[in-house]
Amino acid sequence: MSRFLNFDTLSLHAGQVVDPEYGARAAPIYQTTSYVFPDTDTASSIFNLERGGHAYSRITNPTVGVLEQRIAALEGGSAAICTSSGMAATFCGITAILEQGDHIVASTQMYGGNISLMKNTLPRFGITTTFVDPTDTDGFRKAVQDNTKLIYGELIGNPGLDILDLEAIAKIGADHHIPVMIDATFNTPYLCRCFDYGANMTVHSVTKWMGGHGVAIGGAIVDGGNFDWGATDKYPTITEPYAPFTGINLWDEFGPSAFATRIRAEAMRDFGPSMSPMNAFLLLQGIETLSLRMDKHLSNTMDLLDYLSNHDQVSWVNHPSLPSHTSHELARKYLPKGAGSIVSFGVKGGREAGKAFIENVELASHLANVGDAKTLIIHPATTTHSRIDADALVAAGITEDMVRLSVGLEDVADIKADFENGFRAAKRITKK
Amino acid sequence: MYFDVGGKQVFATTGGKPFDNSKPTVIFLHGSGLDHTFWGLHSRFFAFRNYAVLVPDLPGHTNSEGPALTSIEAMGDWLNDVIEALDANDVSLVAHSQGCLVALEFASRYPDRLRSVSFIASGLATPVNDVLLNAAENDPEAAIAMMLGWGFGSAGHLHQGPIPGNSMVAGGRKVMRGNVPDALATDLKACNNYKNGVGAAEMVSGPIQVIVAGKDRMAPGKATTELIEHLSDPDVTVIARSGHMVPQEVPDQCRALLKAFIFSNNPAT
Ligand SMILES: Cc1ncc(COP(=O)(O)O)c(C=O)c1O
Repeated sequence: MSRFLNFDTLSLHAGQVVDPEYGARAAPIYQTTSYVFPDTDTASSIFNLERGGHAYSRITNPTVGVLEQRIAALEGGSAAICTSSGMAATFCGITAILEQGDHIVASTQMYGGNISLMKNTLPRFGITTTFVDPTDTDGFRKAVQDNTKLIYGELIGNPGLDILDLEAIAKIGADHHIPVMIDATFNTPYLCRCFDYGANMTVHSVTKWMGGHGVAIGGAIVDGGNFDWGATDKYPTITEPYAPFTGINLWDEFGPSAFATRIRAEAMRDFGPSMSPMNAFLLLQGIETLSLRMDKHLSNTMDLLDYLSNHDQVSWVNHPSLPSHTSHELARKYLPKGAGSIVSFGVKGGREAGKAFIENVELASHLANVGDAKTLIIHPATTTHSRIDADALVAAGITEDMVRLSVGLEDVADIKADFENGFRAAKRITKK
Repeated sequence: MYFDVGGKQVFATTGGKPFDNSKPTVIFLHGSGLDHTFWGLHSRFFAFRNYAVLVPDLPGHTNSEGPALTSIEAMGDWLNDVIEALDANDVSLVAHSQGCLVALEFASRYPDRLRSVSFIASGLATPVNDVLLNAAENDPEAAIAMMLGWGFGSAGHLHQGPIPGNSMVAGGRKVMRGNVPDALATDLKACNNYKNGVGAAEMVSGPIQVIVAGKDRMAPGKATTELIEHLSDPDVTVIARSGHMVPQEVPDQCRALLKAFIFSNNPAT
């Protein structure tokens, strides 16, 4: 091999050394908490970060390692660490470099968990966030303060599906020596490799499209290896001696994977949000077919966009692939294969019509998740956001008639037929 | 740490322990376009086994002040200046690729403080083809891709590195991106122009170790055979399945060989 392997090949092979004992072709599930050391010298070398290897599955595990290296390969990152959930990945990423008194600039359009973490939880630990509309690129620059240590956003925003102008945001980060961390859950590396546009780290809820089958919760944080931590003294957790490891200087010793090594050495040890080997195995099965699935998600999405845009029970349709979307040009730039498979649309007749639609579809599953192989729908006004009033809904970019759709892999004709039942019920409500 | 050599700042890591020149020293030399991070695992191993460890960035590479040195001979002289600046003693040199040419020059001319030399994945000369020389100056991304593409064996291409979660190829790419175009292009020209390998090899005395990668595309079998022929009584080991990037692709085997050789030829108390 002298040519670099392409995406589909890496999806199947990266990170796995074929089991030397039995030749198992699939990555084995190493369902073990701990590992027998061959001798004391090897043991001390592993603990002292002098060699790769496994000591305890909270820190590393061979099955999880295959998944980590596969995700690093697909992203083009220098290292990846898998966690028990996407939220754990975000938390570990932030706490690896921020501390009390530090500040984040983040997009307003993000998954509710990300918003809540930054708005409600991190302030209790002295970390504050200024939220900026993702379409207001200059707003990110203006929000930077002396104590800003991180810029954070989702490439495809939630719920408005606005696209971050990643290159411009990365430039703001670079100008101020602030790393840019992108939640790449909605795009996956198949639709956009964020490091190619200057992002410094990505986080994933691999629960979603990466796994794709909706059977395992998991997260990943990927180190782009492209941030010069040594250029300022703002990041002491990376550039100053780390006492628990005999004063190791992670930046000096690990260079492009210093950030990931900090998470491994600190978060996985002290917080312990490890992924189970079983989940890593299941998620690996999903990643093997990532590109095939994404292509089908996208073709079904385009088909449904056409169907919904022309449906007389639909008042509006929102997706960055539609020329009417404010982020259409950015979507073409950063997501040329397609801007993901989340669609939102309005059912004519408002809140009650939206509710009737949801209650009368049968194939599409009514639940609070995205990125499953199966089509999922939810009516935010009566579920995830039911406790907030109409004004707050508007502020969150949610309208009472809004249905959020995560397009699955079913035969698209069956999805449309199912939706017809929903629309008929919605129409009956409006006539009343 | 940073220190001054000839009025210029040199950066070196020391394996996570302060450099103590009362101990025997192990110096690691990186190859073209790379830097100290290439040796991370190995430097820590020796530093925590009572050696003074030094992993310098060549001038003009990553943290060391430039410009990059234009000949292998000059790099050999610079290494001597580094050793004198730190008053390092009982030196075991561990060199990879271009670093081996530097080690040849240094060892043949400055034997006084040297206790052993380990050559990893090297020939007596390193001719560089015009396409790569050209790319290093005019299309650095292409040059990096060629070097990493040829440099890593299948373990690199399959992202199978031994550190859980890490991609060796991506890590190497990020380091090299910091050293283009100047340092890489200057390194490759220096390698290509180096013609003193035979003469230097025959002058090297003392314990010599050669570690050969069975699947090396950068320093193929013929080149290493020539090196071995001109060295006096080297201890030779072939690691069959490794590509050129031995210290990263097969670090455990590489460390075991270095450990056995250096512990016996330059013991630390
Ligand atoms: C964009 C995004 N990021 C992060 C998360 C959190 O991931 P997890 O549920 O795996 O913790 C989600 C979950 O819905 C999400 O949609």
